[in-house]
Amino acid sequence: MNGLPLNLRLRRAMLIALLLGLWAPVKIVWEQQIAREQDNLRYHGLVMNRQMRDELGQGLTIGILSGMRSVVADFIWLEVTTAWENQEWFRMGGLVNLCTSLQPRAPVFWDMGGWQLAWNASVGAERDVTQPNELRRLKAARFWIDKGLDVYKRGIENNPEYWRLWSDTGLLYQQRLKDYKNAAYYYQRASELPNAPVYLERFPAIMYGLAGDDQGAYEAWRALWEKLTPAQREMKEHWKEKIESNIRRLEQKLSVPKEKRVFPN
Amino acid sequence: METSTVAAPPLAVETIGLTKRYPLTWKRKVLVALDGLNLQVKQGEVFGLLGPNGSGKSTTLKLLLGLIVATEGEARVFGLPPESLEARRRVGFLPENPYFYAFLNGDETLRFYGKLCGVTGDKLDKRIEELIDLVGLQNGRERPLRSYSKGMLQRIGLAQALIHDPDLLFLDEPTAGVDPLGSAQIRDLILKLKKMGKTVVFSSHLLEQVQEVADRVAIFSLGKKVLEGSLESLLTENQSTQVLIPAEMNPEQQERLRKFIGQTGVNESEIRFTRPHLSLEQLYLRTVQAQPDFVSKDSPRP
Amino acid sequence: MISSLHRILIIARNTLTEAVRQKVLNVLLIFGLVLICSSVTVSQLATPDIDAAGLFSEQIKFVKDFGCGAIGLFGFFIALLSTALLIPQELDKRTIYTILAKPVRRAEFLLGKFVGVVLLLALSVALMSLAFAATLYWQESVGLAAVEANYAQMDLKHTPTAQSMHDHDAAQIIKQVRDPQLVEAVLLIFAKIVMTAAIGLLISTFATSWIFTIITTFMIYLIGHGESLARTFWLSHGAETTIWQSGLIGLIALLIPDMNSFTIVDEILAGNRVPWHDVLNLLCYANVYVIVLLAVSVVIFDYREI
Ligand SMILES: Nc1ncnc2c1ncn2[C@@H]1O[C@H](COP(=O)(O)OP(=O)(O)O)[C@@H](O)[C@H]1O
Ligand SMILES: [Mg+2]
Repeated sequence: MNGLPLNLRLRRAMLIALLLGLWAPVKIVWEQQIAREQDNLRYHGLVMNRQMRDELGQGLTIGILSGMRSVVADFIWLEVTTAWENQEWFRMGGLVNLCTSLQPRAPVFWDMGGWQLAWNASVGAERDVTQPNELRRLKAARFWIDKGLDVYKRGIENNPEYWRLWSDTGLLYQQRLKDYKNAAYYYQRASELPNAPVYLERFPAIMYGLAGDDQGAYEAWRALWEKLTPAQREMKEHWKEKIESNIRRLEQKLSVPKEKRVFPN
Repeated sequence: METSTVAAPPLAVETIGLTKRYPLTWKRKVLVALDGLNLQVKQGEVFGLLGPNGSGKSTTLKLLLGLIVATEGEARVFGLPPESLEARRRVGFLPENPYFYAFLNGDETLRFYGKLCGVTGDKLDKRIEELIDLVGLQNGRERPLRSYSKGMLQRIGLAQALIHDPDLLFLDEPTAGVDPLGSAQIRDLILKLKKMGKTVVFSSHLLEQVQEVADRVAIFSLGKKVLEGSLESLLTENQSTQVLIPAEMNPEQQERLRKFIGQTGVNESEIRFTRPHLSLEQLYLRTVQAQPDFVSKDSPRP
Repeated sequence: MISSLHRILIIARNTLTEAVRQKVLNVLLIFGLVLICSSVTVSQLATPDIDAAGLFSEQIKFVKDFGCGAIGLFGFFIALLSTALLIPQELDKRTIYTILAKPVRRAEFLLGKFVGVVLLLALSVALMSLAFAATLYWQESVGLAAVEANYAQMDLKHTPTAQSMHDHDAAQIIKQVRDPQLVEAVLLIFAKIVMTAAIGLLISTFATSWIFTIITTFMIYLIGHGESLARTFWLSHGAETTIWQSGLIGLIALLIPDMNSFTIVDEILAGNRVPWHDVLNLLCYANVYVIVLLAVSVVIFDYREI
C-alpha cells in the first residue's frame, strides 16, 4: 500500500506530466514524418476490411494486428498448395486473393498465384471428366486462364519493377493463349527491368517470328543488335551468332536493300 | 549549557517526532505504523528495538534507511538525511527474513554487494575472507544460496551488511527463525561488532535474546515507544539481592548462613534458599556442545 | 558519474546472470531456436516444382518470414517475461532492500535492471539470428542443388540460353538468401522488443503483480499496432467526435508508441528495398522512446515505497 505523503505524490504527478507533455508533440510529429516516408515508398499496402477479417477469423486477425502479417500470409499460402493438390479451384482462387491482399508487395504470391490459376486450374478444367462436353471444358479452362491473367496484371500494378511477373504474363500469352503479339510486349517489358535474365531480350523477336510477322521480327532483332555495344556482342550470353543469323535470314527473305542491311555481305 | 562551537560527535541515529501513517483506502481510515518517535542512539551503542509483531520496529528501520518516506517528523543518521548516499555509505542493513539471489553462491553474493559499494580488487578479496571467517561460513562459499539453511542466510546477510565496513548496523529480527545455537552465534557476533566500535540497532520480538547484548532498549507497542532505558536499570529489582554459591548446601549449612546474614541487619525470615534454574536454552546449548563429536552443521567437517 | 555507471553495470551483469540461470527463459529461447530451424520442413510443404516455382522464392520467403517471425515472437516473450518477472521478484523476495540500503541510487538500480534485460535480449536475438542464418544457408544449398539437377535434365543444355538461364537462376537464389537487408530486419525487430521491454519496465515500477504487468504490456503492444490509425483519425477528425471519443483516441495517439511502423520488416522480407535512411530513422525513434519510458519509470520508482 502507498503511504507516500500528498506533496510528494503531487510532485511525482507533475514530473510525469511534464515528461509526457514534452514528449507527446514530438512523438506525434515524428510518427507522422515516418508514416509519410513509408507512404512515399508505397509501404503499408494493407487495409483491413470487414470481409478480410471474416475470412481470416479472430486468431489470424490478432496475428496480423500484432505484426505477424507475413507469417499469417505464409500459413494461408500453404492452404493454396493443399487446395491445388485437392483440385479445389474456387477455394484456391479465393485463398490466392487473400494472400495477395495481405501482402500485395510480395511478388511471389502474385507470381505463383497467377500460375496456379492460369496453368494448374485451367489444365485441371480441361481434363475435368464431370463436364458434359468439350466446349464446356474449354470454356472453363478459359475462365481460369483469364483469372490467372488477372492476377498477373494486378501483380504488375502493385510490383511494376519485378521482371518475373512481366515475363510470366508473356509466357501465358505465348503458350496458353497463342497471342504472340502480347507475349512479345510483355517479354520486352520484362527484359528491360533490373535483374532480368539476359535471354529474355531475344524473346520478343522470337514471338514475332511465331506470329508469322517477319517484318516485326526483323525490326526486333535489328533493334536488339543495335542496342548491344560491340563489347556486349562478344559476351556469350548475348548469343551474337543467333542474332546475326536471324537478321541475315530475314534481310534475305524481306529483300532489304543492301545499303540498309546490317550485314550487307 | 554547552556553548562550545565544536560540535559533539553526531549521534548515530536521531529521530524527532518520526511518524508514518498508511491510509486504509477501503475503510477511509488511517493506520498509524509509527507515532511520533523520538530516539537517540549514541555511537558505539548496541540498541534494541523490542515489541510484538506489528508494533512499528521494521517501519522505524525502513525510515532510517530512506526506503520509505516519513509522513511527519525527521530522521538523521550521523546527522545526515537517511536517503543520502553519504549516510548509506556508513550504514549496513540486514532485512527481516533476508532473501538473496538464490542462484549465487556465498562468495558471489559478497562479491556482488562489495562491488556495489565500490569495494574492489584485493581489498574485496581480503574483506570477503575476513567476513567469511567472522560469520563462520567457510562451507557456504561455493554453495548456491538456495541450499542455505535459515541460520546461514542470516549470517550471509550479516556479512553482506558488513561488506563496506559500515559504522552503523541495522539488523531487523536477526535471530528470528534461527535455532538456539545459531541465535547464540549471532549474539556473539553482535558483541564482537560492539567491541570493534560499531553501533548496532537491532529489532526483536524475542525478549530473551536481547538481554545479553543490548546496552539500551526501547519497547514499542502499536507504533508508540512506551519504555526506554538501559537494560541494567530496567531489569534490576532494587528490592532484593541475589548471592550465588556454586555448591550444594544441606539444611544445617543453610541455617548457619541465614544466621550469619542476619547479623548484618537483614530480616532473617525473608531470606529464601533456591536452586538456580538453567534456562532451557542454556541446557540445550550445553548438551549439544558437550557432544564429543560435535561439529556445527554449518562449519566444515574435520 | 563513473561509479554510478559502474554500479549500473554491476546490477546489469547480475540481472543477466539471473536470467541466464532461469529455466523459463532458457526454454523459451530453445523453443525459438527449434522453431527457426524447423521452418525448413514447413517450407517443404509449399509447391515443390522448380520449373514453375519461381526458383524457391516461396520456400525462401517461408524461411525468412518464419525466422524473423520467430525472432520477433520469442524475443517479445523473453522481453515480456524478463521485465515482468525479474523486477517484481526483487520486490517480492525483498532482495531490493539489501541493494537499496547500499549506496545505490534507485535510478541506478532501475537502469541496471534494464541494461541487463537488454543484454539478455541482444544475446537471445544474436543466437536466434545465428540459427536463422544457418537455416537460410541450408535452404540455399537445397535450391542450388535443384537448379543443377534441373540443368542436367535440360535439352539443348549447351545453348547460351540454357546456360544463362542456369546462371541466372542460381544467382537469383543466392541473391534472395544473402539479402543484406535482413540485417535491417533483425535490427528493427530488436528495436521493437527493446521497446516492449521498456514498456514492461515502466508498468512494473507501479504494478503490484507480474500478471498485471504482462497483460498491460501485451495490451499496449497490440494497441500500438493500431496507434497510427488513432493518430490519423485524431489529427483529421478530432473535432467531429464527442469529447470522450476524441479524448480516448487522442490519449492513444499521444501516449502509445507506434508499433505499426515496424511492419516495414514485412516489406524487407518481401524483397523490397528499404533504404537505410528509413531504418535509422525508426531505430532513432525507438531509442528516444525508450529513453522517455525510462525517464518516466525512474520518476515513478524514485517515489515508490518499498
Ligand atoms: N506498506 C504498508 N501498508 C500498510 N500498512 C503497513 C505497511 N507496512 C507496514 N504496515 C503496518 O504498519 C504496522 C507496523 O509494521 P512493522 O513496522 O512491520 O511492525 P514490526 O514491529 O512487526 O516490524 C503494522 O500494523 C503493519 O501492518
Ligand atoms: Mg518487522
